[in-house]
Amino acid sequence: MEIPYQLALWGVRIAFLLVLYILLVRSFGALWRTLRTESELAARPALAYLIVQRSHATGPRVGERLPLRAASTIGRDAGNDVVVNDEAASARHALIELSDGSWWVEDEGSTNGTLLNGARLQRRERIRDGDVLDVGRVALRFEATL
Amino acid sequence: MVRARPVFRGTELGLLFWVALLAALGFVAVVGAEASRVGPAALVVPAAFVVVAVALHLFLVATGFRGDQILLPLGLALTAIGLVLVERLAPVLLVQQLSWLVVASGAFVAAILVPRDLGVLARYKYTWALVGLFLLALPLLPVVGRDINGARIWIRLGPVSFEPLEVVKVFLVVFFAAYLEEHRELLATPPRRIGPLPLPPIPYLLPILLMWGLGMAVMVLQNDIGATLILFVVFVAMLYFATGRWEYSLVGLLLLLLGSWAAIEVFHHVRVRVDIWLTPFSNDLRFGPSYQIIQGLFALGNAGLVGAGLGNGMPERIPLVWSDFVFDAFAEEVGFVGAIGLLALYLVFVFRGMAISLRAPTAFLQLLAAGLSFTLAFQTLVIVAGNAKLIPLTGVTLPFVSYGGSSLLTNFLIVALLLRVSDATARVRGSP
Repeated sequence: MEIPYQLALWGVRIAFLLVLYILLVRSFGALWRTLRTESELAARPALAYLIVQRSHATGPRVGERLPLRAASTIGRDAGNDVVVNDEAASARHALIELSDGSWWVEDEGSTNGTLLNGARLQRRERIRDGDVLDVGRVALRFEATL
Repeated sequence: MVRARPVFRGTELGLLFWVALLAALGFVAVVGAEASRVGPAALVVPAAFVVVAVALHLFLVATGFRGDQILLPLGLALTAIGLVLVERLAPVLLVQQLSWLVVASGAFVAAILVPRDLGVLARYKYTWALVGLFLLALPLLPVVGRDINGARIWIRLGPVSFEPLEVVKVFLVVFFAAYLEEHRELLATPPRRIGPLPLPPIPYLLPILLMWGLGMAVMVLQNDIGATLILFVVFVAMLYFATGRWEYSLVGLLLLLLGSWAAIEVFHHVRVRVDIWLTPFSNDLRFGPSYQIIQGLFALGNAGLVGAGLGNGMPERIPLVWSDFVFDAFAEEVGFVGAIGLLALYLVFVFRGMAISLRAPTAFLQLLAAGLSFTLAFQTLVIVAGNAKLIPLTGVTLPFVSYGGSSLLTNFLIVALLLRVSDATARVRGSP
C-alpha cells in the first residue's frame, strides 16, 4: 500500500513538471504565431483609400490616394492618420472605421461639420465605395479595396 | 473599447486548460506529501482558482476584446504556482491569498473597462504622479503606517494590510511614459559635454535628479533598498527607450553608484546587507543576519536536476520563506528543470510585452508597454538574483508568485494595461 502511494506521488510530481513545460512550449508557439500574423498585418496594403477630389494650396494634392487603416482619424493635427491641412478642418475632425464587415464614418465634434455626399453627418453612418466626404474645403472620395 | 459582439479567444482558452491542469497537479502533489492519502478536498482550491480564471476569460470574450491571448494565461500560470507554494509554505494564508486573487481580478476587470480611451492616462499624467507620491508617503503617516521587518512600507486599515509601493510602480510608469512622450522633440538634441562627461538637456536631467532624490528619500525614510533600486532603474530604462541615447543611462548608472556608496557609508542597515552578501559565513553573521540567505543557498544547492519533488523538500528551514524566498523553496523541490521552467514563463511574458510595445500605435502606448514589461522583468531579476546571492538581497516580491495581495493586484493591473495596449493596436491595424 505504501509503495504504490509513493510511486503515484512521484508520478504527480513528474506530471507537474511535464505540464509546466507543455504550457511553456504552447505559449511560445502561440507567441510565435501571433508575432507572425502581426507582422503580416503590418505589411499588408491599406484596407481602403481616400482619394483627394478637391483641395487648395495647403491641403493634400488632388488625385493623391490616402491609405486607411481599420480605424483612421481625419483632421488638421499631424497626429491623425489622414492629415487634412486646411483651416476649415478641426484638429480632430472625423473617424472612419471598419466594423462588422462594413465601413462607418462619424463626425468627431468638428466645428464646421463633415458632409457625406453633400449631407451633414448627424450620427455614425455607413460609407460605401464611391461616396464623397467633405472635410473643411477638401473633398475626398472613398474607395474600398475589400 | 467595449464591443457588443463576443469574440472567440481560442488560443487563450487552450492555454488556460494547461494552466488548470498545472494548478490541480501542484495541489495534489503538495497535499499528497503532507497526508497519507488524497481526497477530493485537495481540489477545492484549484477548482476555485479555475473558476476565477475562466470568469476572466469569459469576461474578455463577452466584451469583444481583441487584444493579446497569451499574457493572461501566463500570469494565471504564475499565480497558480504562487497558490501551490502558499499551500506548501504557509497554508494558513491560503484563504487570504485566494481573496486577494478575487480582488486583483476585480481590478483587472475595472482596468479593462475604464478608462474607455487609454489616452486619458497621458492627459492626467501629473495626477497619477501625485497619487503615486501620496501612496508612497502613506506608510509614513502615524495612524495607518506600519513597520514590518524593519521597513516602514506598509499601511494597515482594519484587518487589511497593504504595501502601497507595489501599485506606485504602475502609477509612476504611466507618468514617465506620458512625460517622456511629451518631451520627445528633444530626442534630436545631442547632449552637451563637460569634458568627457555628457550632460543631458535640462528637461531630462531635472527628472533624473528628482527621481534619484525620491529614491534616496524612500531609502532613508522607509528603509527600503529594493524600492529605491526598482523605481530608479525603471526610470533610467524608460529614458533610454524614449531617447535611444546611452549617455543618459550612463549618467543614471553613475548616480546609482554614487547613491549606493553614500548609503553604504552612512546607513548601518545597508552596510549589513552588503556584508551578508559578501561574507555570509563570517562568524558574527552566519547564525544572525545571514542565517536566512545561508539556508536559502543550502536549499538551492540541494535542488539538483529535478529537485526533491514538489512537497518533499525542507523549505521550513528558511525563515520567512513564504515572502522572501519562494524562489529558493520552489527550486529545491522542482530542481534546475522546474526553476528554469518558471523563469522561462517570465521570459515569454516579457518577450510578449515588449512585442506589444513595438507594435503599439502611439509613442505613449509604446513607452507604457515597454515600461510595464521592463518593471516586471527587472523586479524578477532583482529578487531571483537576490535569492541566489548574486546581488545583495532586497525585500521585493517575485511577481505573481510571492505571497502578498498588493503584489498580486499590481501584477494583474500590469497584465490588464498590456492587454489594453495590444487591443488598441489590433483596432488600428485590423485583426485577422
